[in-house]
Amino acid sequence: MMSASGMAGDGPLFLIDYLLRFVRVALLLAIWRTLFAGRRAVGGMPLTTVLTYTLIGEVFAEPMAGFTTMADAFWDGTITARFLRPMSLFGQFAAEAGGLWTVNFALFSAPLLACAPLLGVRALPASPAAAALFLMSLALAIVVGLAIDYISGAIAIGMELSPWIVDRSRRAVGGLLSGAIIPFALMPWGVGRALAWNPFAALASAPLQIYVGKGDPVRLMALQVAWAALLWPIAMRAWMKLRERMVSYGG
Amino acid sequence: MNTLTRLCRLWALYARMDLHWVTRDTKTFVTWSISDTLLNFGGLLGMMLLAQRFGGIGPWSQAQVLFLLSYSAVCGGVMEMFCGFNVAYISRRIGRGQLDHILAQPQPIWMALATEGFCPFTGSAVILPGVLLMAWAVSRLGLRQGPGWYGALALNIAASTVVALSFQFIWGSLAFWAPRAAEEINSASSRLLRQLRPYPLEGLAPALKGALLGLLPVGFLGWAPCRALLGMDSRPTSIWVTPLAAVGFGLIATAVFRKGLAHYGRTGSQRYLAHGHRT
Amino acid sequence: MAEPARSDTSRTDIALELRGVNKTFRQRQRSGRMGDIVAGLIRPVYREIAALRNIDLEVARGAIVAYAGPNGAGKSTTVKIASGMLVPDSGTVRVLGMDPVRQREAYMSRAGVVFGQRTELWMDHTVAASYDWKRVVWDIPRERYDRMLAYVLDVLGIAEFYRTTVRELSLGQRMRADLGMALLHEPDILFLDEPSLGLDVLAKRSMLDFIADLNRQRRVTVLVTSHDMAELEQLAGRIVMIHRGEIAFDGPFDQLRREFADRRVLRIDTDSPTAPVLPGATLTESLGCRHEYAFDAGEAGIAELLACAANQVALLDVETHRAPIDDVIANIYVRWQERSRQ
Repeated sequence: MMSASGMAGDGPLFLIDYLLRFVRVALLLAIWRTLFAGRRAVGGMPLTTVLTYTLIGEVFAEPMAGFTTMADAFWDGTITARFLRPMSLFGQFAAEAGGLWTVNFALFSAPLLACAPLLGVRALPASPAAAALFLMSLALAIVVGLAIDYISGAIAIGMELSPWIVDRSRRAVGGLLSGAIIPFALMPWGVGRALAWNPFAALASAPLQIYVGKGDPVRLMALQVAWAALLWPIAMRAWMKLRERMVSYGG
Repeated sequence: MNTLTRLCRLWALYARMDLHWVTRDTKTFVTWSISDTLLNFGGLLGMMLLAQRFGGIGPWSQAQVLFLLSYSAVCGGVMEMFCGFNVAYISRRIGRGQLDHILAQPQPIWMALATEGFCPFTGSAVILPGVLLMAWAVSRLGLRQGPGWYGALALNIAASTVVALSFQFIWGSLAFWAPRAAEEINSASSRLLRQLRPYPLEGLAPALKGALLGLLPVGFLGWAPCRALLGMDSRPTSIWVTPLAAVGFGLIATAVFRKGLAHYGRTGSQRYLAHGHRT
Repeated sequence: MAEPARSDTSRTDIALELRGVNKTFRQRQRSGRMGDIVAGLIRPVYREIAALRNIDLEVARGAIVAYAGPNGAGKSTTVKIASGMLVPDSGTVRVLGMDPVRQREAYMSRAGVVFGQRTELWMDHTVAASYDWKRVVWDIPRERYDRMLAYVLDVLGIAEFYRTTVRELSLGQRMRADLGMALLHEPDILFLDEPSLGLDVLAKRSMLDFIADLNRQRRVTVLVTSHDMAELEQLAGRIVMIHRGEIAFDGPFDQLRREFADRRVLRIDTDSPTAPVLPGATLTESLGCRHEYAFDAGEAGIAELLACAANQVALLDVETHRAPIDDVIANIYVRWQERSRQ
């Protein structure tokens, strides 16, 4: 509710961001149709699958990106005040992010999903089992994404960088590395096969492949679990070590 | 002192300051440069990979796609070079109540905005790779053009930059009326421009194509000028389309910004945040 | 840009003139309830706030005027209007004979503004670089710049950190640097909005001394707002108090005390730990055999109080002084609040 109140505070301008995202999706779908003109499938993916992949990638873009409000808290110095709350720091950021994702899902993602037929996209998962596995994989993606976000914050503190530098760098390459924009199967020179092993792939490529029925769900989710098991201890250890610097870092 | 002399003095001042910052805080400069490069080339990389995989995109050959990408990179670099310090993200300045700092200066507002964002050294991280990419694209295309073509290229790059900046100002001016909600609207509009400008618009429904050459003018940041420059649009006037669009968008942006400024003069700003002010 | 004409553009000795100035703001109201969030998008609810009501204010050249009032009274709004950053809804504003809005560029070359919570300095550059920036943007002639730079470096003590990056300065140093920067173009009028906010006692004193010296030596007109009444009393001979957008008082500090309450403090040392009861005086502190009272000199005379005390205890020592100006102002604000509630 706080997310909704904050977003709608000054009127409906937040809807413009949604409009811009919608246009981007429409353009991406058109690009795929142009590229696939005259082709049945590329990299084992027919056009219909790629369109579904792209649309669902946008519907769940935020939880798959894994960004919290941590960079903001560092930037404006409110990180110190968060230590005064009777709640774990990770829990606070995760809860706030969850609130924002929920509001955005209700206001943008759900309507976008409903518009899928108008856009000529089949939005349903490959099968009911794929749907169930997708949800599990999405949950794992969120877990990995949060770990990556906290590690990014630790890097910013540890290297005394502006949090925005780390944030925007992540945004710049995250889309490509996660497979959210271009499915790995459609990348040339075996680039996709190599990228499938990077941690960002656990955020988007894994759940999206499961959704469209491509790739082995067991292998993909095992890789997600492995990344979560590897990254979370790193995140927690980094924050424990940098806690003191963190308090004096922002503001 | 005449206006041009004053502008040159101000650009020289900000160039000096930019150089001082680069040399004093080299670590931050390097990290920002890497971040800027990633931001501006990350999206282009995706398109390059697709062009490679699909042997071009629609009627665009791989080399032509490369030229398109390099053109959008150079435009992005020009924006970085001339519109730093949130000039391109004017909604932040307005929404955070930082416009008062400009109003406190004894010079026209347009002059302050035209010069304060000049960062030739920090902006070089984007424009230099863009120029190199363009040189490579031109060589792959086997283009042997004279000074007239290069003049048209420079004119269209400038025009595309004006279109992009005008778009930012049109959307950013919403912050005059809703400072909190629209503070970051230029982040959204900038993302749109950056992510969509390297895409060719062939294959789009007419309504959507019209929208991308009108309401959301990403078509003028790469597709339209590159088609003209590469001879893909055979009309002799095609080379003037983007400059004309720049005039149009510039006029609209000026009108909207002035209206917003008049409103700001009546209401002022009830909030002030120092984030991003001269940092 | 040609050097701004420094000739007197005013026909009188009045540096600042506000006549019938009104300013109203609209403030959006939000309850935070979910239903209201949606309803607010369609039909937002606004509250009108009259920040300034029919303000008439004149400040003579070379004067220092304190401009005070409780939070939200309209102080900053007045400063913004006088410095050309805000347009009044009605009324006229003339500063140095100019309209601050219509003649903004010429006006800003003659006026200086310092907001306590904002800086004009460049955070990632040295003070020297920020000052050089000002020289170019304000197009300050070299002779004037060198003269004023030498002045601020010396009198404000900026020389010691002139070549330090602004981000590394303490708050006090930054405030001094900001004040110095505001003076480089040798303004004729200076607006200081909470200039000593966050400064320690020494830094505050140093700043006050500087402003007083600036006014004395260079005849710079100063309008200063602050919540620190003692600071204002030290600096300015005249205080203008604003309450809910209207001028509630305009005159010397002495007159303020007399009109609103001549609060005094009486301290007596006696032979008894029991404080004597003094009609017309309120016991505020009792430490051993020392007892302190507050009273209104208009309602109770010192002679009567002392006679009453002497009847009850043996008086060993007596001290009386005026209540601190902060107490006077606090009482005024309380009185205004009570009047508003009635």
